[in-house]
Amino acid sequence: MRVLDASRLTKAYRMGERSVMALAGVDFGVEKGEFVAIMGPSGSGKSTLLHLIGGLDRPSGGTVALAGQALEPLNDTAITLLRRRNIGFVFQFYNLLPTLTAEENICLPLLIDGKDLQPYQERLERLLGLVGLEDRRHHKPEQLSGGEQQRVALVRALITEPAILLADEPTGNLDSRTGLVIMDLLRRLCDELDQTIVLVTHDPRTASYADRVVFLRDGQIIRELHLVGEEPAGQSLGRIIETMQALETDPGPTVSAAADLPANGSP
Amino acid sequence: MRLTRLLILRSLRARPTRWLLSAFGIVLGVSTILAIGITNRTALLSITRLFETTSGRASLVIVAQDADAKGFPETLLRRVADHPEVDNAVPTLQLFTVLADQVSTGEIGLDFFGTSTGGLLLYGVDAQRDILVRDYQITAGRFLAEDPHAYEVVLVQSFAEDNDIAVGRSIQVVAGGAVESLRVVGLIAKEGAGQLNNGAFGAIPLVTAQRLYDRDGKVDQIDLVVKSSSASGPRLARLKDELQAHVGADYAVVYPAAQGQRMTQMLGNYQIGLNFLSGIALFVGAFLIFNSFSMNVVERTHEYGTLRTIGMTRSQVTRQVLIEAVGLGVVGSGVGTGLGILLARGLTSAMALMINQDLSRVEVQADIVVFGSAIGILVAVIAAVVPAVQAGRISPLEALRVRGARREGWIIRKGWLPGSVLLAISTAVLVANPFPYDVQFRAGSLVVFASFAGGALMIPVTVAAWERLLRPAAGWLYGGSGRLGSANLQRARARTTLTVAALMIGVAMMVIVWAMTDSFKGDLDVWLQGYVGGDLYVTSSLPMGKEVWKRLEAVPGVAAVTPVRYFEVDWVKPEGDVEKITFMAVDPASHAQVTSFVYTEAVPDEVGALRQLAGGDTVFLSSVLAERAGVHAGDEITLVTRTGRRRFAVAAVVLDYYNQGLVVEGSWSDMGRHFRQSGANAFMVKVEPQTDVAQVQERIERTSRSRDQLIIASNASLLERVNGLMRQAFGMFDVLALISMLVGFFGITNTIAMNVSERTREIGMLRCVGMTRLQIVAMILAEAALMGTIGGLLGLVFGVVLSRVFMLAMTAMSGYRLTYILAMYRVVAAVVVSIFVSQLAALFPALRAARSRILDAIHYE
Repeated sequence: MRVLDASRLTKAYRMGERSVMALAGVDFGVEKGEFVAIMGPSGSGKSTLLHLIGGLDRPSGGTVALAGQALEPLNDTAITLLRRRNIGFVFQFYNLLPTLTAEENICLPLLIDGKDLQPYQERLERLLGLVGLEDRRHHKPEQLSGGEQQRVALVRALITEPAILLADEPTGNLDSRTGLVIMDLLRRLCDELDQTIVLVTHDPRTASYADRVVFLRDGQIIRELHLVGEEPAGQSLGRIIETMQALETDPGPTVSAAADLPANGSP
Repeated sequence: MRLTRLLILRSLRARPTRWLLSAFGIVLGVSTILAIGITNRTALLSITRLFETTSGRASLVIVAQDADAKGFPETLLRRVADHPEVDNAVPTLQLFTVLADQVSTGEIGLDFFGTSTGGLLLYGVDAQRDILVRDYQITAGRFLAEDPHAYEVVLVQSFAEDNDIAVGRSIQVVAGGAVESLRVVGLIAKEGAGQLNNGAFGAIPLVTAQRLYDRDGKVDQIDLVVKSSSASGPRLARLKDELQAHVGADYAVVYPAAQGQRMTQMLGNYQIGLNFLSGIALFVGAFLIFNSFSMNVVERTHEYGTLRTIGMTRSQVTRQVLIEAVGLGVVGSGVGTGLGILLARGLTSAMALMINQDLSRVEVQADIVVFGSAIGILVAVIAAVVPAVQAGRISPLEALRVRGARREGWIIRKGWLPGSVLLAISTAVLVANPFPYDVQFRAGSLVVFASFAGGALMIPVTVAAWERLLRPAAGWLYGGSGRLGSANLQRARARTTLTVAALMIGVAMMVIVWAMTDSFKGDLDVWLQGYVGGDLYVTSSLPMGKEVWKRLEAVPGVAAVTPVRYFEVDWVKPEGDVEKITFMAVDPASHAQVTSFVYTEAVPDEVGALRQLAGGDTVFLSSVLAERAGVHAGDEITLVTRTGRRRFAVAAVVLDYYNQGLVVEGSWSDMGRHFRQSGANAFMVKVEPQTDVAQVQERIERTSRSRDQLIIASNASLLERVNGLMRQAFGMFDVLALISMLVGFFGITNTIAMNVSERTREIGMLRCVGMTRLQIVAMILAEAALMGTIGGLLGLVFGVVLSRVFMLAMTAMSGYRLTYILAMYRVVAAVVVSIFVSQLAALFPALRAARSRILDAIHYE
């Protein structure tokens, strides 16, 4: 079942006199339970793509459908509601409210939705157990390490059982060991809870945890890589780095260059 | 609900200063409104109650229709007493006198703002009948005996104590050109009738009073106790009308409380001033709330962005901010109510001094408290609307940015559009002044608010120009760091605008208060020079006839003497209504030798005008009346004389604030001819050149004082006293100017502290590349100084324009047309104060920034 379907997505920004094309006609889809990493150099449009599929920004052209719902006809409030109930976000800088405890931060989306917290208690406990924060739940962000804060942000993103989890450089602000812990967690979420995940990163090691890696350059998908679940992590990483190197020497950004996969990106 | 509680209470705990500042705005507004409301109510109720309690059980009161008539025949008493619905008719004769041994120190009662001071009020009463109406609580001795001829008196205990008078002793009072002795037989409490004249009150037998003051067979007032079946409601009203018809048009049948009306009318102008004050306090309070809420939104951009990302809708965010405002409004109003009641105690004691009334019972009534609190909450919400909507507009993408470097809002980029429209509309409205009298105050306040808002919205587009203009000065004063600080001004235009606007409003308010008080004092000074003209001012508790005039003229060293007499007349307004005003009779010939009139409309021939006045059937009109009635020199006015309505030519319009400007000047001969009045209230004495005024004063005191019971004061000492009174009256307005600047100070402290904390990383970088701590301080101070200068200059412009407009509005409302005065030193002071305040506010954040460790600063997140 397809959770996300974006087609011919374009996004142009005005910078003074000229217009910059951040995304130039991207087709991108994600299946239920799939873990996709989006890679690319700075300015390639990977964050823009994440913002558009997450309903944080409006595309200049093209369509996005999330959990079967097209975003274009929705007004701001409807998109917000969709985001609240169907999308979980994890950011590089955690974005926790400094005045609330870990548990309060986690429950925030439920409170915003006016939900009674009781039915979610079991899920909360399970998720806290999963990320190992049971005994840190009453701490404020400033009392938590970076890794712990990111784990809180992760649980907050998952508490509403979203159809898709969008993560923007979730390990970008963490040391490499903590980063790996977070990536292990994301992998387990995908495997154990069948959670659909789209992750933006420029780190090949982070991307190696995904099922599929999409490479972006100059606002276009130039290649996709399917990582086979059973293969050793080192081997996946090697393939990603190889692809990156190949793309560096490859002068032309053409989608068709991604010869080893179908255009819609499904495995 | 839980979400609201969680977000608001935590944010409150995290940023106590910001919330305190917002709450301070509400506390300020609510407490001022309450204090002023309570004070006004207290004064009004006290006056009403005074007349009610002093009339005791009387349901109706009969007085002479002409307030200045010397009483009426007591035969009327029988006519009303016979009415079947009247149980008792109780007469009084009312006399103002002084204790004989106090004549020399006796104060000259200046009718200033409707206040009069000094003197002892004696009621001549029928001892047997009076106690049927009034309660006298005897605290020592006894009440008056039944003998109507006895020379005895009952005094208020506090008055007796103040003057060392004991029961059994005699007091000497000035009466009918002689000093008479009255034996004190008892003391009464300062309650009921004892509150009259603020306790300087006594009762003597009616016949004795009539004899002492040559008013045989006369009374001033009859109190009526009516049958209980008619004592209230429509039956009483019917009885009142019936009695009015019965006694005729020479008398007025009124409710006891109505006697206080004249006094409350006099309070009117001062209350307009006080209301203006509370309006301003509310406005600055609102601005403070707006300022801190805006800051709050800027500071929490990241947080709101996150909330939006995880699913909070725009309206939910806006609602959160508004709920915070309501919560703050409730708390601020609560504290403001407490503070307001405390302030009211101070304000009522000031008011008590001014109106010579005992206002110790402060009236804290529910409706005022509810109104004040409701206004507080409402203002908090209104002030928070724009920041709340802005918060709702924050895009989720703001949360993804590392720091809150958000795009400038629409208000900053395009605010000049509505700003210029608001400015244009408010200016046009203020100049055209299209409001009817009764909505003028509220509508005017709204328009002023709009003009401030318009001015503030214009600031962002002008920041660049200001910065370029002032950069060299910043460089000159603070060196290279100064220029860097100056450049910072353009980087966060939203915050710069808020700071400059805070200072602008503070300075503008200060300038308005200064200009209003300076102009008022200026004109009052000019008028007083003429009003108490010459060198000496001579008055007496007795009427002064021609012989006193002659005797004064004969004193060696006296160059000229001129008499003045004030009495009440009915003025028939052009539209036909009748209003009581004061007729000030002067002798034009001698008046010109002693003092002069201040003409407000150019008079081609001043001597000719005076000659015309002397010729009769002519008046000089006060500028206030001229303004109110639209009458000019050359027109005519109608006054009610003893022989009916009569037209008087207006020869000139003059400055005169006696009786709040409700006065005409006429000739001595017209006074006798048309109004049947005689004798002077006062004489103005001009001393020969090169003669010592004190010496002449001493000579007059030696030769005439004891005989004529004169009170002599030098012009200089009188002016000194009046100025003292004025300082007291305007003192409150100075406090207001101070509060305005305080608001500016809080506003700027707020913004600069935020500016600095947001730039911690950048400041760390500057320290890294070699900027010294001192240079950091200089940079931040320079930025603040520039904001101070811009705010000061804009405030000055606004202040000058608005104060001129206020004066025009005041002319329309009350008739006062003032000469605009704003001293040059005030102009300079306005800008200097603004810069000083900016430096003071910036010092602490600057020092904190300079002290921070470089590594902490660059790791600051």
